[in-house]
Amino acid sequence: MSQRVISYADLSRINSALSSLKTDMREVNIELGGLNTKHDHLKSDLLQLSLSFADFVESDIKHKALQLAETRQGNLKQDLQIKFGYYAEVRRMATGILQGVHTGIIGDDTLRHTTEEVMIKAPNYWLAPALVVLSSWIRDDKNTTEKALAESLKRDDYKTTLFLMLVMRRLGRNDACFQWMNRYFLHQNPHNLDREFVIILEAITTGVFQPASHQLMINNVKSWITQLTQTDSYIDKQKVQWTHFFETKGSLSSKKYPLLEEFAPNWDNLKTSVIQARSHHALDLHFKNIFETTTDYSKATKIQLDEILSLLVTNFDDDELPLQNEVRLNQLIIQKDGDKKAAQSLMNEEKHIFDEKVDFLQMLTNAAFNPELTGATKVTQALAVSISQPWIVEAHDSFTAKYRNEIEENVDLIIDGFKTSTPDGSDETEQLQKHNRYWTDFLENELKKLTFPFVLIFFGIIISAASLIIFKFGIMGIIGALIGGLIIWNTISNHKKAKKKTIETIMERKNKSKEVLRGCIAETVDYRQEFAQEDAKAEILRQTLMSITPEDFSSTSRDTRTILQPS
Amino acid sequence: MAKIIFQNETLTGTAEVGSASTKILSDRDILRKRSEKYLNLIRTMDTELLIETRGKKDMMTKIHEEFGSAQLADLPIGILAKCYLGHPHEVHTLDLSAGQIIKHYIIGELLPEHFEKARTLAKHNAYFFVEVYKDKLILIREDGTAAKL
Repeated sequence: MSQRVISYADLSRINSALSSLKTDMREVNIELGGLNTKHDHLKSDLLQLSLSFADFVESDIKHKALQLAETRQGNLKQDLQIKFGYYAEVRRMATGILQGVHTGIIGDDTLRHTTEEVMIKAPNYWLAPALVVLSSWIRDDKNTTEKALAESLKRDDYKTTLFLMLVMRRLGRNDACFQWMNRYFLHQNPHNLDREFVIILEAITTGVFQPASHQLMINNVKSWITQLTQTDSYIDKQKVQWTHFFETKGSLSSKKYPLLEEFAPNWDNLKTSVIQARSHHALDLHFKNIFETTTDYSKATKIQLDEILSLLVTNFDDDELPLQNEVRLNQLIIQKDGDKKAAQSLMNEEKHIFDEKVDFLQMLTNAAFNPELTGATKVTQALAVSISQPWIVEAHDSFTAKYRNEIEENVDLIIDGFKTSTPDGSDETEQLQKHNRYWTDFLENELKKLTFPFVLIFFGIIISAASLIIFKFGIMGIIGALIGGLIIWNTISNHKKAKKKTIETIMERKNKSKEVLRGCIAETVDYRQEFAQEDAKAEILRQTLMSITPEDFSSTSRDTRTILQPS
Repeated sequence: MAKIIFQNETLTGTAEVGSASTKILSDRDILRKRSEKYLNLIRTMDTELLIETRGKKDMMTKIHEEFGSAQLADLPIGILAKCYLGHPHEVHTLDLSAGQIIKHYIIGELLPEHFEKARTLAKHNAYFFVEVYKDKLILIREDGTAAKL
């Protein structure tokens, strides 16, 4: 067996191979890093792609919805044209006839011919016989008028009534108009009033209709109120709204009572009370302002009346509504670029506005709070307030009683640990005495905490005594005694200094606190004074409210009535 | 005509129809203006009739007259008013259910059940007196008008 001993081995090749391997590894690593970066890029690209894909899908859906809506709208319109096309024609004709009658340039024959033709073309539509009524009435054909009227009322009693009432007003036929108005009122349900009622009410109030209609309205309003006030629920609902209205009217400028705000723990309650008391003045001005109106609104009302008339004539009939609604929805989808959801919510909002029906008392409250929003003017606001007067007064009484009952009996104060309370700040002397006692006690307690340093003094005495005894009055003994004495003297003076400092700090705190207390008391006096003053205005407002009678609004309308004659 | 419509009387009239059928005292009823006779009765309560036992009976009849058709349960428990006997007297009660008809209370003295909640308002100058009910307070002004809390 041969045994080979390796005495020398050349490892340089292995070494170089290893180092080249290392270099290779590094390259691989770098490569791998590059791959990672690429992967990240790829990932973000993919994300972007998926996002844009989602966008694309969404816009595609919208686009398709848009296209669909456009096609549907076209189809629906065609459908509408086929089924109710003649309605549109009747409406156009009605507008023309009304204008023609008004100017008087259309011959009786033409009128008769066209209206009768309409009658044939538009079965079931109330406006057709209504136009026949109009034309036969103009040419004094009583027989036809009555027949056409019966038919028109059969088709749609309410709309015919409103239409003829408004047309008669426009033509200045007061008696006929009055008869129609009577019928119109019979149609109204005080629990469920239409939106346009407020405009009719406004027109009657401002004197656009003849004077007799005023009495008619009053009689109806009276019986409605009788109906609605049989139970408390309707009035209570209004009272809650009025109370809320009163609560929001008061305000208090911040920093009027800065000290109470900082030092009175019950300031929040105090603030609420004074804010509510401060509402009366603003309310008094508010109500006076309603009744001190001089503007003549009758012109605007006349325009509104004509608007109702033209809406009545141009608006869609109930039969057409389902189709018209679909057309409207598709229109909105187109308008919203295919966004169905947005279109639907818009549609719901629109519907809500048109569907809104309210009971009479609620209508009055709406008109009293915000006449513009309900389509009324200040004149109707005044009317609404005067009709609502009994429960406005009741609500105001309850509102006033509530905050008067909740007023804090005392103003509580916590000033730097000193707790007290004062009813109205008139007890300043007692308060200051109490304050003084508090701080004297406080000072006494603090000084008690500074115990006299007996130990150190005793230690000093021991040192002096010991050194005198040990060194027998030698120099060392005297030095020792002096050291002992120094300790005693130092201790006592330190104690005195501490005592003095405590007294100084506490006196400073006391003086500051006293100033604050005086300030708080002064503010309390002001607060109670202001509260009493503002609270007394409740009685002034009450008088203003009590002085409101329906007489007020009729006088306004009487003035305007003379200005206007039926156009 | 227009003037009459909106006055309290009309409203009371309608409320009576409702309350007659339902037997529940409506707000219209409870808030109607109090009669001068009733107000006078309360006004003189401090000074007259109270010493004698006859006074109480007399007073109860008059009060029942004022509340008319109302059920016994709908009657106020009592009346709380400012006391004019002078300091330290603050308020006095007219207890319609208990034996002792009138009692004067001084500042800080606790009032019987239900009456305490009316104390602040009874002291207020705007109100003449307060009718205390189990579930509500009715504040009566000098002119007899009522407010509910």
